Amino acid sequence: MSMDAHQRPSEAAGESFVKPDAGLQPPPAELLELAAGVSETPPRAAPLGEEEVLQERRAPSPLRESLRRLRRDRRAMVSLGLIIFFVLVAFFGPPIYQHIGSIYQSPQNGPVPASVYHSYYHEELIRQDEGPSAQYWLGTDDLGRDILARLMQGMLVSIIVATLVEVVDIVLGLIVGVLAGYFGGWIDQLLARFTDLMFAFPGLLFAIMLTGIIGPGASDALAKLPIIGPNGNGRLLLVSLALAITVWPLMARYVRGQTLQLKEQQFIEAARTSGSSDLRIIFRHIIPNLMSIVVVASTLNISNTIIGEAGISLLGLGVQAPGSSLGLMISDATPYINTHPWEILVPTTVLALIVLAFSFLGDGLRDAFDPRSKD
Amino acid sequence: MLQFLVKRLIGLIFVIVGITFITFIMGYLAPGDPIRAQMGDHFDYHTWLMLRHAYGLDLPWYQQYYNYLVHLAHLDFGISFKYQNRPVWDILKDGVPVSLELAFWGLIVELLLGIPVGILSAIRANSWIDTLNMGVALIIYALPPFVIAILAQVIIVWIDSKTGASWPSSSWGAPWQYDWADLQPKIVPILVYGAAGYAYFARLARTTMLEVLRQDYVRTARAKGLRERVVIYWHALRNALIPLVTVLGVAIGLLVAGTFFIEQIFNIPGIGRISLQSVIDLDYPVIQATVVLLAVGVVVGNLISDILYTIVDPRIRLE
Repeated sequence: MSMDAHQRPSEAAGESFVKPDAGLQPPPAELLELAAGVSETPPRAAPLGEEEVLQERRAPSPLRESLRRLRRDRRAMVSLGLIIFFVLVAFFGPPIYQHIGSIYQSPQNGPVPASVYHSYYHEELIRQDEGPSAQYWLGTDDLGRDILARLMQGMLVSIIVATLVEVVDIVLGLIVGVLAGYFGGWIDQLLARFTDLMFAFPGLLFAIMLTGIIGPGASDALAKLPIIGPNGNGRLLLVSLALAITVWPLMARYVRGQTLQLKEQQFIEAARTSGSSDLRIIFRHIIPNLMSIVVVASTLNISNTIIGEAGISLLGLGVQAPGSSLGLMISDATPYINTHPWEILVPTTVLALIVLAFSFLGDGLRDAFDPRSKD
Repeated sequence: MLQFLVKRLIGLIFVIVGITFITFIMGYLAPGDPIRAQMGDHFDYHTWLMLRHAYGLDLPWYQQYYNYLVHLAHLDFGISFKYQNRPVWDILKDGVPVSLELAFWGLIVELLLGIPVGILSAIRANSWIDTLNMGVALIIYALPPFVIAILAQVIIVWIDSKTGASWPSSSWGAPWQYDWADLQPKIVPILVYGAAGYAYFARLARTTMLEVLRQDYVRTARAKGLRERVVIYWHALRNALIPLVTVLGVAIGLLVAGTFFIEQIFNIPGIGRISLQSVIDLDYPVIQATVVLLAVGVVVGNLISDILYTIVDPRIRLE
């Protein structure tokens, strides 16, 4: 009881010290603030009063240092540019593309406006397997659908699946990993057993099974969900869910390992001695220091996720026609590999570029956040 | 060692029970009745009741699962839903040697090409050979296996059309037979199959070799005037190979994941294709069996790599 009484004021004091305008506080503030940063931060210059002076004298923060290293990594920056380009095209490409072009007098369907023949599902059956033209910028596929429109839709699908999976991956991985690393005990045991299981269970096979078995039902049940048009949204969600289930244990393992290391560091000990609660230590000291590993792991994982979605769609278990996905486009074009290799090369190349860009960006981020990992 | 083996075998059993349970419960909870789906238009209530009883699907779930485990312990995978008098093993038995052959040669490609290339890169670090090797390895490793497979097919087809040759782009010969007619269609799929692992081993071999070359005992060996060749092949290489043994498990995991795509794209009648077809057919006994086979492959691969580790590095003790 008396311990509590002793601890509380110091914690309250600690709280006020962390405020940015506490520049001229007595030494404990400085200690605490130092402790809150990454352990390797060099000691900061004594507070000199004015904020600008302080900024100048201070060693650059580890984050800023990392970003500086990242900016100098040309391969990572090119990849980042490419990713931004693909995201912009996926989101803004279709509405722009559908406003380009005049009405086309189709012998089969009558007058067709650009918003229809530049959509990813419109079939112009007498214009199959065409090369690039003014009307169809990247040509048409075996059902007379616009390849560029399908490509952009496929990119959108990749991005949406990647986002959904990473959200689950980060949230679950962070929660379970921190709990397992910080508290140990049965959560740790459970996580260890579960990850063993998931590592032995080929992740892809799990995803194939889940989509294959539940897929048809999910397509019907969730068909009305308005995510990205008539695309078999149930399948899309299912694929994301299946991939997310298979990836988060790895993230949890990384987070757990890092948490175990952090837990032993002096600044955590300092925080604990000064009376911070477990919750406060986790949120203010552990999680901020996990951010770099989470960002790197999830960026590298995005490649796998995009490959996974494309692969499942390629095997015919993911996105279904009339929807589009890079994997579906590849499998649609496979029978025509002899006669129209163009149709298979376009989605394959785009997929390869996206995947390479995310891998290179992930590698660059890893090198930037942890220069020692570079060989 | 013995204690370790027993412990790992218990772990193996745990993993298999876990995996069969996940697979079982997924099939059990899946919407739709599997027997009804198989019967399609020929639905007849009495036949349906009879079949359900024959497959034991009218029992409560824990009893179904228990029966499955008991059968599995006798290496009996049950009867297929789709082909109603074929045992599951009868369906799988032609695929197993094909997949094993693919995995075996894939692993050989990975090790016999990947490791020497990585070592070469390390010895000539930062030369153009190193840059080229590592650039290629980086790209191969990052690309999905099916993209590499498709690009390989496009190239085969293109060469065939230019030269009039008829190199097969998607087929497979008799397993473990190496006449030219059987061998020819296998070459490209095996190379593609091993590609991801090749890149993985090449990069890793380079890193470990560079690390070993920085060690004191390498400096000592050089200082006492040994020829560079002896230093590299006798002192450094043997130590650089040790960490590579531990990642054999990862390589086997990569191989299992690659099975589905390589077999599907190159039209190879292995476990991956059978497994995929059974998922599409909702033939649960076959799905279960393929999952168990593949998972056992991964776990046993990991076990072998752990045992090899103690053999190549006597300092390691397994507890």
